[in-house]
Amino acid sequence: MNYELQVNGKRHRVDTDADTPLLYVLRDDLQLNGAKFGCGLGQCGACTVMLDGAPVMSCIVPVSVVGARPVRTVEGLGTVDKPGVLQQAFIDEQAAQCGYCIAGMIMRAQALLDKHPSPTDEQIRSHMMPNLCRCGTHMRILRAVRRAANTFSRQPAGGRS
Amino acid sequence: MEQAGRRRRRGHTRRRLGWLSLVAALLGIVAVAIMWRPALAPIAAAPRFEPGLVERGARVAALGTCAACHTVDPARPFAGGFPIETPFGTVYSTNITPDARTGIGGWSEEAFTRAMREGVSRDGHLLYPAFPYNHYARLEQDDVRALYAYFMTRPPLDAPARKNEMTFPFGLRPLVGFWNILYLSDEPVRPDPKQSAEWNRGAYVADALAHCSACHTPRTRLGGPDDKRFFDGGEAEDWYVPALNAKSPSPLPWSRDHLAAYLRTGIAPGHAAAGGPMQGVVENLRQADPADVEALATYIHGYLAQAPARDTPARRPGSLPPPKPDDPDLARMQLGHQVYVNACARCHDAGRTESSGTALQLQQAVALYDPDPRSLIHLVRDGIAPPDGEPARWMPGFGAILTDEQTVALAAYLRRYGAGQPVWPELEKQVRKGKQ
Amino acid sequence: MNAPLPNPGRRRLLAAAGSLTLVFSLAPAWSQGEGGAKGKEGGLPGSLEKEPWLDAWIRIEANNAVTVFTGKAELGQGIKTALPQVAAEELQVNPGRIRLVTADTARTPNEGYTAGSHSMQDSGTALRHAAAQVRFILAGMAAQRFQVAGNALTLRDGVFEAPGGRRVTYGELLAGRQLHLRADGKAPLRPRAAHTVSGKPLRRTDIPAKVTGGSAYVQDLRLPGMVHARVVRPPSQAAQLVSADTAGVARQAGVLKVVRDGRYLAVIADGEYRAVKAATMLARTTRWDVPASLPGTKNVPADVRARPAEDMPILERGSAGAGGRTVSATYTRPWQLHASIGPSCAVAQLIDGQYTVWTHSQGVYPLREALAELLGVDKETIRCIHVEGSGCYGHNAADDVAADAALLARSYPGRPVRVQWMREEEHAWEPFGPAMLVDARATLGADGRIADWEYAVTSPSHNNRPGKAGNLLAATHLARAFTPPPGKPIPQPEGGGDRNAIPYYVLPNARVTHRFQQNAPLRTSALRSLGAYCNVFAIESFMDELALAANADPVAFRLRHLDDPRAIDVVKLAADKFGWNAYRPGARRGRGFAFARYKNLAAYCALALEVEVARETGFVRILRAVAAVDCGEVVNPDGVRNQIEGGIIQSASWTLLEQVRFDERLVQTVDWASYPILRFNQVPHSLEVHLIDRPGQPFLGTGEAAQGPAAAALANAVAQAAGVRVRDLPLDRARMRAAK
Repeated sequence: MNYELQVNGKRHRVDTDADTPLLYVLRDDLQLNGAKFGCGLGQCGACTVMLDGAPVMSCIVPVSVVGARPVRTVEGLGTVDKPGVLQQAFIDEQAAQCGYCIAGMIMRAQALLDKHPSPTDEQIRSHMMPNLCRCGTHMRILRAVRRAANTFSRQPAGGRS
Repeated sequence: MEQAGRRRRRGHTRRRLGWLSLVAALLGIVAVAIMWRPALAPIAAAPRFEPGLVERGARVAALGTCAACHTVDPARPFAGGFPIETPFGTVYSTNITPDARTGIGGWSEEAFTRAMREGVSRDGHLLYPAFPYNHYARLEQDDVRALYAYFMTRPPLDAPARKNEMTFPFGLRPLVGFWNILYLSDEPVRPDPKQSAEWNRGAYVADALAHCSACHTPRTRLGGPDDKRFFDGGEAEDWYVPALNAKSPSPLPWSRDHLAAYLRTGIAPGHAAAGGPMQGVVENLRQADPADVEALATYIHGYLAQAPARDTPARRPGSLPPPKPDDPDLARMQLGHQVYVNACARCHDAGRTESSGTALQLQQAVALYDPDPRSLIHLVRDGIAPPDGEPARWMPGFGAILTDEQTVALAAYLRRYGAGQPVWPELEKQVRKGKQ
Repeated sequence: MNAPLPNPGRRRLLAAAGSLTLVFSLAPAWSQGEGGAKGKEGGLPGSLEKEPWLDAWIRIEANNAVTVFTGKAELGQGIKTALPQVAAEELQVNPGRIRLVTADTARTPNEGYTAGSHSMQDSGTALRHAAAQVRFILAGMAAQRFQVAGNALTLRDGVFEAPGGRRVTYGELLAGRQLHLRADGKAPLRPRAAHTVSGKPLRRTDIPAKVTGGSAYVQDLRLPGMVHARVVRPPSQAAQLVSADTAGVARQAGVLKVVRDGRYLAVIADGEYRAVKAATMLARTTRWDVPASLPGTKNVPADVRARPAEDMPILERGSAGAGGRTVSATYTRPWQLHASIGPSCAVAQLIDGQYTVWTHSQGVYPLREALAELLGVDKETIRCIHVEGSGCYGHNAADDVAADAALLARSYPGRPVRVQWMREEEHAWEPFGPAMLVDARATLGADGRIADWEYAVTSPSHNNRPGKAGNLLAATHLARAFTPPPGKPIPQPEGGGDRNAIPYYVLPNARVTHRFQQNAPLRTSALRSLGAYCNVFAIESFMDELALAANADPVAFRLRHLDDPRAIDVVKLAADKFGWNAYRPGARRGRGFAFARYKNLAAYCALALEVEVARETGFVRILRAVAAVDCGEVVNPDGVRNQIEGGIIQSASWTLLEQVRFDERLVQTVDWASYPILRFNQVPHSLEVHLIDRPGQPFLGTGEAAQGPAAAALANAVAQAAGVRVRDLPLDRARMRAAK
């Protein structure tokens, strides 16, 4: 079946089965690497993207329910040459070991900062709970989100990524 | 002559006024007696307790499911702060650690007993019946003493009570006195000689400790238990709470063993998985004396067994069918079926491996047979999450994944083609009421 | 003087790549004839011993591009940045201009496994000396060309400059030839004080791509014509196949082939999710006979004790029988998982008789051997190329999935076949960290010192890495099944279950025994730090128990028994930064300390931490952790910190939460719900790592140094906070609630 999706501001048309999780569509049909397969069960967050502004586990989102709602992945936040605020914060804090969970972490954090630009440390910590990191990079991830929040609070209102 | 008549009338009036003011005064005294209670002197230091009593108190507290409301953060047990939503406003549970300033550190056993049996705080203010003291009123004093020993030996935590958000005038605590007149009875749970010792123990556990009927019995408009409809079902935290008697919506009959397993672990395989407020209950019962949980199961099962055997689709679990072509609500049913096939069937139909709590085949899901859709909506949106750091069943939440329209369609489809029941009339309203 | 290349295959490949490799003799100080190839006593430094040819490590093109080769793999420990840093320092080339090629059987030296924290010790050391020698040779060539003395030249970013402004680049000097010379380890290394690159916290080169969705992992490989496969495993290793409806599955949309070979079932499809669905369908329609074959996990310590073990003494010092107060204790560890966040993945293709396997295996050369045996082909026909996976933390399913991919490529030749393991597969089938048991007994003399020490650690094998086909999971399910070779111990000083079983303390009388178990109910292999996790947990918990019996402060007690000044330094630094002496435990709170030197020859790590325990819920909260680490000369300080932070948090997860559970028939921990790991709400509130840099000292492996100390420091802190000593891992909520 054909589905029209809006991903990172661009329209895409994909031909796939109705029950294909968004994760596979992003990776295999659109060649986007950010969202990763971690469990396929909605338990680890490696596949986190944003759907209509809310963080979701793309491994349990069937492509057929997405509709016209905008999808945002880490690729939509910035590039290697021009990283977004959160991405730059992760680079500055060197917040990665194997790095496999990081794109999901960034999307989860972006969703928080979009709605709560000045979160407390407790709020950041509890917001990030659905996402797992096995290498133990948590301290740096928290520092990166804090760093990005500080950057946002210094910017004039309007641009969050 | 006239003067005497006037004098007689004045005397009449004066006597009537006198009577009236006497009655008013009496009523005033009664009202005050109902609404006002004295403060009890604080204690300077906690008494010492025998370890055996403290241990007993731990088991009693597990049966009483105290932590379900009084522990929010597992790092701060009994520090309170849990928002209990009632039709009268939101009440926050309080700190019941023995902290001198923000907890019950200054409470004597007398004050503690009075709170448990009468719903009166140490300083005399009346507690909202969101705290189920009308159940604890029926405790044996030995259990109250054990609970006191347990709580007074917990590490004190600094946690000031959060401000409640009550709807006027229900925030006025003195009015609770009137509620107490209607609903507070300190009649102990009397054993029924026709029943087994285990059943009777279960009755005590259910009524005086686990307070099952606080959720499983409907409430009157004043928020008191509607005893004429015992175990007819109720609500808690915006979940529908199923009936436990002949009116049980469960599509399959419960065996006693199923029920015992469910109460201990939260799962009765092929039958039910505890979600929402029941999860907190199960977490507590897991730590109680297993014999008491068995007794509770025996007692509750006595009521559940009254449910007539029904032929429901749960007896023939399997893939859910597509909607019939002549379905009057075909478009919505097709959408719901699509959502089911694409989002739910992967776990609920094709299935996962054993062990992390096999997803139920949905013909068996009790929530589909409930008289209202609230529990189903919560399950779909929030899923079921295990307690922090402990292995347990897991269902992801689809709240951010499905639109309202998709959620309505899914619920409607599951109701019709999963449970074989007519769609709830208020379904759409409940879905659109807002995501938590 | 021309000598033949040692590897004709490589010569073919390199010739095809367009750079000729010739041998030539250099005139002045660096002739092959002089002095022979041995540099340091006993052999060449690091992996140069295994691969002595300079051009196997460093190649410089005519355009001055520098490529550096390592047989090690990037596992997330940062060697993609640290190794070029080492080379850049000695070569005096801008690290941004160095391209690193990692483990590839066609292109890089064979450095065995990337394991045991050997990357910097082996590969880093080799590169350092090779680079120094290359620089020295090139300096000689430049001096000769300009007819000046060597010290008249300045060198900057691969360009020599002579007085008068004459310049020549490395590339121009070599003009397309490579230095096919044997290393001799004699070239002087750049003094630490002059370092411009090594020792600096250089940013990792791989992170920018990883945070912006760049292609970085084997999971991201997309090759033309690639197809997708999934395997359907038996429910258990003992399960027998009764029937499988392969025909029905073969008819599903997108399915290209259904493979059945004995108990090995797989589907190949043209789309990834179609492969998943087909595999699910196949699993549902397959009937297995699943016998009771496992002991269950209701009492793991009893099960460990009951299994036969062979006593291998690894330390006998002094004599037994010292008088004094005796303390004894038993410590246990359950089965535990690597539980990589990204389940294992591999891509393989068979084209014209040549296999290419893209894998995140820790050892591409040993894997190649095992695949050759599995497929019944000559190993020259197989090329294994390492591509990053998610963190593996030891021997996880990376080799198994490579075997799956190779087998399925053989079934479906001509196109790349991608196999991705599912979450449940990874949890249930990866080689487990073995369940272990420690019996410790010690006697305290009147002087408050340990007068006698007796220690026995019981463990199955920690090393079932391929080498042999029987170590590959798929091989054991084929109709002509391979048998896993019997588990073998790893000899000291590395050790397997006995890694770090010998305490680093000064003990006049000590007997340490490794009770090696050849058999285990489930497959086991190396999990980060191997036996060191359990042994350091046991030894350091026991030291605390002894300190208590001796009425001594735990840190002072340890210092009493240490004589290595570097060990003493890390212990004191950690205690000092933590504020050990001034600490007073609050309600529900406690502090704990632990020290170990990984393998007694790698990095030193001391750790102090504070916890808060809620007995009613069993919840343990880590408030703060302070670590002190000595890993020799530090190449990338931030990389070291990252590894130690990560090791502490991962070990905290193992220690507070993790145990594999199985009943008599099946493994039950198959996802994150049944096998929870640490989440953000339980990581420490603060974590500091203090490094002691030792310029001039050898690099010491650090990646595994924190696992053991973190477990013991936690156990010791919990003992103080909860008022009860728990000796059985994990210290999970159920155990902490029940602890008396």
